[in-house]
Amino acid sequence: MDLLEFARGPAMQWALILLVLGTCWRIAGIVFLKRKPDLSEPRSHGQMAGALRTIFSRSVPARAFRSRVLYSNLLGYTFHIGLAIVVFAYQPHILWFESILGFQWPALPNAVISVAAVVTLFSLVALLVKRLTSPVLRLISNFDDYFSWAVTVAPLVTGLMAVADVGFGLRYETLLAVHLLSVWLLFAWLPFGKLGHAFLVFLSRGTTGALFARRGART
Amino acid sequence: MSTADLDQKHPLDLESARIGVRKPEQRYDVQGDTPDEARVHAAMVNFVKDFGATAATYMESCIHCGQCAEACHFYVQTEDPRYTPIWKLEPFKQAYKREAGPFSLVYRLLGLKKKVTTAELKEWQELIYDSCTMCGRCTMICPMGIDIATLVGQARHGMFQAGIVPHELWSVAERAQREGSPLGATPSVFEERVEWMGDEHEVEMFIDKDKADVVLTMSSIEIQKYPESMAAIAKVMNHLGIDWTFRTDGYEATNFGLLSGNTAWQRDMSRKIVDAAKQCGAHTVILPECGHAYGALRWQAANLLGEKLPFRVLHVSEFLAEQVNSGRLKLRKVDKSATFHDPCQVSRRGGATQAPRDVLKALGVELREMENAGDYNWCCGGGGGVITIHRADPLRYKTFEIKMAQIDKTGAEVLLTSCSNCRQNFDDSQAHFHWDKTMHSLLELVADNLVEH
Amino acid sequence: MHQGKTPETLGEELRRRGMSRRTFLKFCAAVASSMALPATMAPVMAEALAKARRQSVIWLSFQECTGCVESLTRSYAPTLESLIFDFISLDYQHALQAAAGHQAEEAREAAMKEHWGKYLVIVDGSIPLKDGGVYSTVAGETNLDTLRHVAEGAAALISVGTCAAYGGLPKAHPNPTGAAAVTDIIKDKPVINVPGCPPIPEVMTGVIANFLTFGRLPEMDALHRPIAFFGDTIHDRCYRRPFYRRGQFAKRFDDEGARNGWCLYELGCKGPVVHNACATTKWNQNLTFPIQSGHGCIGCSEPDFWDKGSFYAPLSTGRWGSAEGIALAAAVGTTVGIGSALLSRARQSDIIRKG
Repeated sequence: MDLLEFARGPAMQWALILLVLGTCWRIAGIVFLKRKPDLSEPRSHGQMAGALRTIFSRSVPARAFRSRVLYSNLLGYTFHIGLAIVVFAYQPHILWFESILGFQWPALPNAVISVAAVVTLFSLVALLVKRLTSPVLRLISNFDDYFSWAVTVAPLVTGLMAVADVGFGLRYETLLAVHLLSVWLLFAWLPFGKLGHAFLVFLSRGTTGALFARRGART
Repeated sequence: MSTADLDQKHPLDLESARIGVRKPEQRYDVQGDTPDEARVHAAMVNFVKDFGATAATYMESCIHCGQCAEACHFYVQTEDPRYTPIWKLEPFKQAYKREAGPFSLVYRLLGLKKKVTTAELKEWQELIYDSCTMCGRCTMICPMGIDIATLVGQARHGMFQAGIVPHELWSVAERAQREGSPLGATPSVFEERVEWMGDEHEVEMFIDKDKADVVLTMSSIEIQKYPESMAAIAKVMNHLGIDWTFRTDGYEATNFGLLSGNTAWQRDMSRKIVDAAKQCGAHTVILPECGHAYGALRWQAANLLGEKLPFRVLHVSEFLAEQVNSGRLKLRKVDKSATFHDPCQVSRRGGATQAPRDVLKALGVELREMENAGDYNWCCGGGGGVITIHRADPLRYKTFEIKMAQIDKTGAEVLLTSCSNCRQNFDDSQAHFHWDKTMHSLLELVADNLVEH
Repeated sequence: MHQGKTPETLGEELRRRGMSRRTFLKFCAAVASSMALPATMAPVMAEALAKARRQSVIWLSFQECTGCVESLTRSYAPTLESLIFDFISLDYQHALQAAAGHQAEEAREAAMKEHWGKYLVIVDGSIPLKDGGVYSTVAGETNLDTLRHVAEGAAALISVGTCAAYGGLPKAHPNPTGAAAVTDIIKDKPVINVPGCPPIPEVMTGVIANFLTFGRLPEMDALHRPIAFFGDTIHDRCYRRPFYRRGQFAKRFDDEGARNGWCLYELGCKGPVVHNACATTKWNQNLTFPIQSGHGCIGCSEPDFWDKGSFYAPLSTGRWGSAEGIALAAAVGTTVGIGSALLSRARQSDIIRKG
């Protein structure tokens, strides 16, 4: 079995298994911890609404904070949107989703994808620079932060290399295999580290939203 | 440390601008002579108690974006990265990951997360107590919606049990548990001062009635430093013809059990009020102008006591707003401009942001809001017990500069708040900075402007 | 077949057939360029080839379909390439030789004896290894024994077609005969692979011309393929590549995109990962190749191409396993998660109780 076959077959299957297994593990491991009923008299019963509202509203920083977090928010938005474009709007990726989901959607032209990928890459690099230079971020960062960064950047870099066929001597199929493997690494790591925020964000924002809605406080 | 020792080493200082105890010398404070191992153990036991699904959700979710720093007055004013709110929780988080998280078994087996050490806990004492007012501004900025303020409150539980609490805060809390008031407002002192205020302001005072619809509570800061507020609330109640009483067995609304991190004491303190209110069959307990007192009784007491409270709990500003909105309370117009400082625990974290504004509207003042007033208000810097900690004074003054700048910018003639702890901090900082503005009580302003029938 | 004749040089043979030196030079230039040799090599090659003696070739056919032989011999008109085939002394080839039975085997033995250490062995078809190799025998001898025996005196071996090169179709899952490639068996002789199902005739020409000129096999890649022909992917040289870049893909074999000749990536074309010369050398006298006739490349010259999923599954899709596997992962994950939560709860109660 060559590397590409390994990447397209067993590696992908294991990555998906780890992704699903880890996600279920982490969520179950959190929600099945003890949970006490809140006996205080609620000011409002709109907890569900509060949870939903916060899930959306926290996507944009409140006006009070906007100027102080503008730079990191812009970068954050750029790379999240960029990643979404690259992941969900590139034809070969759509075909991959189709092979699992059974349906597809319109793609964006390759040139747009390439630009998005490069912009995403730059914003991720800028965020790393910020992480390395900001005293706050330097202090609070740990292995997870840097590893997760690398694991996110790797598929972008290998993907761009494969598309441009710039492999420093590596053949295209090797580049493709490396790209796939880097994505599987991302999949496998996602539920275990900070990238788990992809699903934890709903849990976390929802919890605070419900809690604050109960108190009638702004969510 | 024995009680006699405590009173001698840290005598109460009731004369200064803010009430506290004398400053100790050590950088890190420890209580008792427990060996380090026992301290860590005690901290762990009490950290672990709080690791439920909610705390777990929060601690799993942090993405280390560092944005909470930008919401924290301690960081913004000092730019010291250690004051990043989530960093203040590092030992708590570490303990969680090791003991309770979904991957805790893996962490333990592979030795990936070390046990928290006493040295770390000591180092974090300043971060968990001196530089956090639990104002929850960080909660509002967190893109993951993590309620950091609540977690700090929980982290204090372990710190207290480990005996690693700033001395003044610890001794104030200890005194509160022992004497029934952190600042010497024992039941007899309270009774005395209530009578004194009744005489002084010619208000009829009710104390220890067997039956009453409403039980009023006070904060010891008010009893000792702003006793006029007792007269003010009595005046308003009498004016409305409400059947009310003070109770010597449940008058102290401040809860230093909560601020210091002793859950048992917090429960005891809340229980006194709850029992007193139950005894006289009150349908409402009104909390004084005090921020954390609101959080303690309104949101936490029922859960600590394990029962629903058989009465309504209202902050005095909520009560006034209800009366004003229902038309029962008529107020004279105050022809002045005013700005209102939101007590974090009542507004942002209590959900009663609108109440004081309704009252201010009824007073007809020209409300000149500070920037980000209401739910995003900057904390005064003295909450969460910080004001009791002497060594934190420079830090507290530094954060107060934000407040001064904000208030100066409004150009308002009158400064109002409805938290006596904030007010105490304003008074103390005013003296420190020789500032020309004095903080006033919303309640007192209302009491001074009642429209006689 | 030129058995028994006195060996002549290729130059003499060509002159006998009335080929001018100019035509011959042109042929050499074409071969040289297809082998990515510098243009200056053409006269050198011409000279060497002209002087070259008849090369004895023993062609062994194992588990195969004769498609490779068909591909290499069935040209529409006699070509320069065919001259090369005419020129070699094909001393043994089941399908082409006149002799049969014992005579054929004797001819092989005789050629081997006469040219010991110098003859070329061409293999098409894979070699069954399972059960002592009984699944394919010739004249009572297993293919494995024949190959080992013949290879012993060979100067070099050429594996023609994907079966000889990688095991090919006989090796496809579940590989009932234990089919193996020549390179799996012969380790002590130079072996070159000319994979493809079938392989391109010009590649054979190039390899043989190279051997005749330089006395050795051309430069090979890790899969023993001549780099000159297998250096690029089909996709690299595909005339439909611009459509790929623009994101214009045929979605069905009968849609607008297909009629417009757009990229066949979505229809499962494996061009991007297949190394072969189809897109440049093409087939049927440089006329066309599969993609040009509207079908994606199936990667027939790549190892195990038959087992790499559907020919019509796009390259970017993987084989994602079973929904059951994922469901099992979800179930196990949830169980472990609940378990860890319960364990934590127990630990909590325990720690709190002990105080």
